Amino acid sequence: MFFSTIIAFSLMLSACASAPAPASSGTQAPGSSIDSLSGNISVSGAFALYPMMTVWAQEYQKLHPNVQFDIQGGGAGKGMTDALSGAVDIGMVSRKIKPEEETKGAYWVTVAEDGVFPVISAQNPVAADITAKGISQDTFKKIFMTGEIKTWGEVVGKPEVKDAIHVYTRSDSAGAADTWAQYVGGKAQADILTTAIGVNGEPALVDTVAKDPLGISFSNLGGIFDITTGNVVQGTIVPPMDMNANGQVDAGEFFKTMNDASSAIASGKYPFPPARFENLVTNGKPTGLVLAFMNWILTDGQQLLEQAGYVKLTPAQQAESLAKLK
Amino acid sequence: MIDTEGRQTRPSGASRRSQDQTARKTFLVITLLPFFLIALIAIALIIRTWPILRAYSPASLVFGTVWKPDNGQFGFWPFITGTVWVTVVGVILSVPACLLVSLYLSEYAHSTTRSITKPVLDLLAAIPPVVYGVWGLLVIVPFVEKILAPLSKKWLGAIPIFAVNQPTGFSILSGGIVLAVMIAPLIISVVYEILSTVPNDLRHASLAVGATKWQTIRQIVIPQVLPGIVAGVVLGASRALGETIAVLMVVGNVAKVPTSIFDPAYPLPALIANNYGDMMSVPLYDAALLGAALVLLIVILIFNIISTLVLQRMLARKKA
Repeated sequence: MFFSTIIAFSLMLSACASAPAPASSGTQAPGSSIDSLSGNISVSGAFALYPMMTVWAQEYQKLHPNVQFDIQGGGAGKGMTDALSGAVDIGMVSRKIKPEEETKGAYWVTVAEDGVFPVISAQNPVAADITAKGISQDTFKKIFMTGEIKTWGEVVGKPEVKDAIHVYTRSDSAGAADTWAQYVGGKAQADILTTAIGVNGEPALVDTVAKDPLGISFSNLGGIFDITTGNVVQGTIVPPMDMNANGQVDAGEFFKTMNDASSAIASGKYPFPPARFENLVTNGKPTGLVLAFMNWILTDGQQLLEQAGYVKLTPAQQAESLAKLK
Repeated sequence: MIDTEGRQTRPSGASRRSQDQTARKTFLVITLLPFFLIALIAIALIIRTWPILRAYSPASLVFGTVWKPDNGQFGFWPFITGTVWVTVVGVILSVPACLLVSLYLSEYAHSTTRSITKPVLDLLAAIPPVVYGVWGLLVIVPFVEKILAPLSKKWLGAIPIFAVNQPTGFSILSGGIVLAVMIAPLIISVVYEILSTVPNDLRHASLAVGATKWQTIRQIVIPQVLPGIVAGVVLGASRALGETIAVLMVVGNVAKVPTSIFDPAYPLPALIANNYGDMMSVPLYDAALLGAALVLLIVILIFNIISTLVLQRMLARKKA
C-alpha cells in the first residue's frame, strides 16, 4: 500500500503571535528574518522515517508558515531513486548508502538511529513459550536465511507442534529487509529465504503478520510500535530476542513498548544490525531551504526524536552529520 | 458556401479532389502512429537493455530460473511463467461466467434488468486497480487460505496443479480471482455489444420454425459472432497480462517457477514495480528491469499475434 500524504496545513500564525526562533540553527544569515524561508520541500522513501518526518514537517511549518511539505512513503529504494532522479528534494533511506549510489551523486547525512525488530502474531500457537524463552539469533538465521527451521515446534523445542512457520518479507525494495538480512547472516534483501512471501509496503506487512497466527516477519521501530501510545501494534508481539542464547528471556531482551526498544538502541545494547542509521539523501550537496531544514533536523529536530520515541544521534554523530552539511 | 436557397454549393472538382487527398493523407498518418509508437518503445527498451544482453545470452536470461541481482544472476523464467499462470487462471475463471452474463443480458433479460445491470458493470470497470488489490488482500487471500486451500488439499491434492505446497493464501489463485473480477466488465460489455449486432430477423426465423431460445442461441446466434467473442476474450486477457498493482498485492511475489495454482508467483509487471527502487544501485539492474519490460512487451505481442491468427482462421472458415 502506498502511503501518500500531502501535508498542507494552513497554519497561518496570526501577526501578533511571535514564532519561536530556532535556538541554534546556524543557517540564517545575520539579520535575515525567520519567515524569509518559503517554498516547497518534497520527501519520499523509508517507512521507518515516515512518521518522524511528518512530525518534523509539522514543527518546522509552525516556525516557517511559508514552507510547504509533500511527504510520501514507498520504501528506501524509492527514496533513493526519487532523490537521484530529482523527483523529490530529500530521499529517506533506512540503510547504508551503496558506493554506486554515491558515484551517481547521492549526498547523505545520518539523522537518527533506529532498529529493525522481529514481529509475530499475538495469536501464535506457541506465543507463551516464545515470550518465556525468546528466539536466538541462530534460530532467526535458520528461519530467515537457511530455512532449516520450518515449524513453530522447532523454534521452542516442542517437536509435537507441527505448525509451519509462514515467513513474510517485503516485496518492495526496503531498508528494513536489507538490515534484517544482515542480522541473520546475509548481505541484502535478496538473501532472505526465497520462499518467503513478499508483501508490498511496511504497513501491509505488519497487518499481514498480525492476522496470520503462524506468521513471522520484521519491522522497524515506527512500524511495529504505535507512535502515539508507544505500545506494539494491536495483534502483534515483538518476540523477545535471546541475545546471549541462554534459552531464557533476561532483562533487556523483551521489548514491550517503544521506550524499551529505543532505549536499548540508544544504550547500544541492541545489536547493530538490526539497529541502523537513518539517512537523508539529496542529489548533490543540499542548498537553500533544503539545507536549512536538514540543519534544523540535526539540531532542534533531534529533541523531537526523543519525544516521539525514536533514538537521537550521539553528540559525536550529530557533529559529524552537521559537518557534512557545512 | 451556401447559395440563396440554403443549399451547399458544389465546390469545383479540383478542390474536392484535393480535399479528399488531404483527408486521406491525414487519416493515414494518424493510423500509422501506433506502429511508430510500438517501434519506438521497442527500440528504447532494446537500447536500455543492451548492457545486459551483451553480458548474458538471451536464452540464459529468458530461461534462467535464479533471480539474484546482487550476485549477477538474472533469470526471467519464474516471472514469465508467473505472468502466464496468473493470466490463464484469471481468464479461465472469468470467461465462462462473462459469456453467460452477456448471453443472458442480450437474449433473455428484460430491458429494465439490462438498464440496471449495465451501469453496475460500468462502475465495476471504473474501480481503480489498487482498490481491487486491497479487497484481494483483505478478503480473497484469507478466503483462499482458510477455505479453498483446505478443500483442495482434501479433494484435489493428488493433482499437481491443485497441490497445496505453501501455507498462505498469497497465491496464483488469489491473483487470478482478483483479475477475473477486474476483467469481467470489459469482456461482458464487448461480448454483449457484439451479440446485439446479430440481426433480430435471424432470431425470429429460428424461433418461427419451432426452435427454443436455447437452440437459437446455440445454433444461430453464437456461430454468427464467435470471432467477435474471441476478440472480447483476447482484450480481457491483454488487460490481465499487464495488470500490476492489484496482482502484486495478493500474489506473494516469490521468484520461483510455480507448479500449482496455490503457489505464490511473481509476474513481470510486479517485478518492475517492486524493484524500481534498486535500479540506481545494483550494477546492470536497470538494464535487467527494462529487459523485464521488453520481455513483457514480447509476451504480449506473441499473444496478440497468435490470437489474430486464430481469429483470421475462424473468419476464413466461416466464409468457406
